[in-house]
Amino acid sequence: MLAYRDGDAGAFETLYARHRGALYRFVLRSLKDRSVAEELFQEAWIRVIEARGRYAPSAKFTTWLYTIAHNLLVDHWRRKGLVLVELNDEHASPDNPARQVEARETAARFLQVLEALPPAQREAFLLHEEGGLSVAEIAAATGTNEEAAKSRLRYATAKLKAAIDE
Amino acid sequence: MNEDPKLSQRYRELPREEPPRALDDAILAASRRAVQSRPAPLVAPSGRRRWYVPVAAAAVITLSIAVTLHVQHDRPSEEVDAVAPAMKVQETPAPKSAEPARAERRAPQPFAAAPSASAPAAAPAPSPAAEAEPRNDIGAASAGARVMRDERPRAQSQMARSSVEQNPEADLERIARLRAAGRHEEADKALAEFRKRYPDYRIAPAMLEKVEKK
Repeated sequence: MLAYRDGDAGAFETLYARHRGALYRFVLRSLKDRSVAEELFQEAWIRVIEARGRYAPSAKFTTWLYTIAHNLLVDHWRRKGLVLVELNDEHASPDNPARQVEARETAARFLQVLEALPPAQREAFLLHEEGGLSVAEIAAATGTNEEAAKSRLRYATAKLKAAIDE
Repeated sequence: MNEDPKLSQRYRELPREEPPRALDDAILAASRRAVQSRPAPLVAPSGRRRWYVPVAAAAVITLSIAVTLHVQHDRPSEEVDAVAPAMKVQETPAPKSAEPARAERRAPQPFAAAPSASAPAAAPAPSPAAEAEPRNDIGAASAGARVMRDERPRAQSQMARSSVEQNPEADLERIARLRAAGRHEEADKALAEFRKRYPDYRIAPAMLEKVEKK
């Protein structure tokens, strides 16, 4: 990113090639609408391009990139009248993954369970799986503390494990 | 923390979706455009811009000097203003056909209203006050707008010519003043001109004493 900031266009292509798939899936699996996901994916990269002059390597590029994506998702949910879910509201959610993981142990079902997770938990899981972020980095990217990030990830993992173990 | 490899493996078995090619192209094109049109650096301008300021400053200074010199060169001297209208007559050619009208617009009333050079010499003599007016007017003209200056010699010439032709007494008075002021050369010229114009005019002895060189 520093090389791109200094005018090396090829550096961006390398960076993009490294992160494009993971970021795309992160956004796509955080949203159900593919066209919106593509729009947000593009917007995230445009923000990276526009912010190149201000980029300082205070954190991993991956963390910075997923922070941008997280903020775009939050903005999107706010526009939709949704809020990022609190830790313990999964029991009140109509999309309780425990109830939905009943019949099949297929990839499709896993995906269904994943999509059924509360957004904050799903996001924590996707940041970990797709972005390779640690708990601390998830906390930084989502603007929360490590404890909350750890809890979200633990809840998501437990539900997904329960789904595949059934 | 998700430490379960089974869970990770299951997740990896999901379709590995990738962004469409068109999206890739659009983003990469935007990244290249951004690099090509990066904002100007916050350093001193280079190349052609470097000499803009000095050249502009030099042009302004040169122009200022030129205008100042031009104004100083064109400024009417007090000497010119002090010359009597009668003397201007001798130095300036007679006005052309269109000039009297221009002189009329700018000249004071008594002389502007004066008839043309073809008017008879037997016109009534002006009063002393009227005679004094040309000087006042010329003085005012010299202090006035610059455009007046271009017209003034012609106007003065015409006025003076009229007064010489029509008012021999007034001309004699002017010559007497020149003589009294010690400007004998000018007085001699004016007297010679007077005699040429009024060969039959008999100058009174008292006036003769004043106008002739002693």
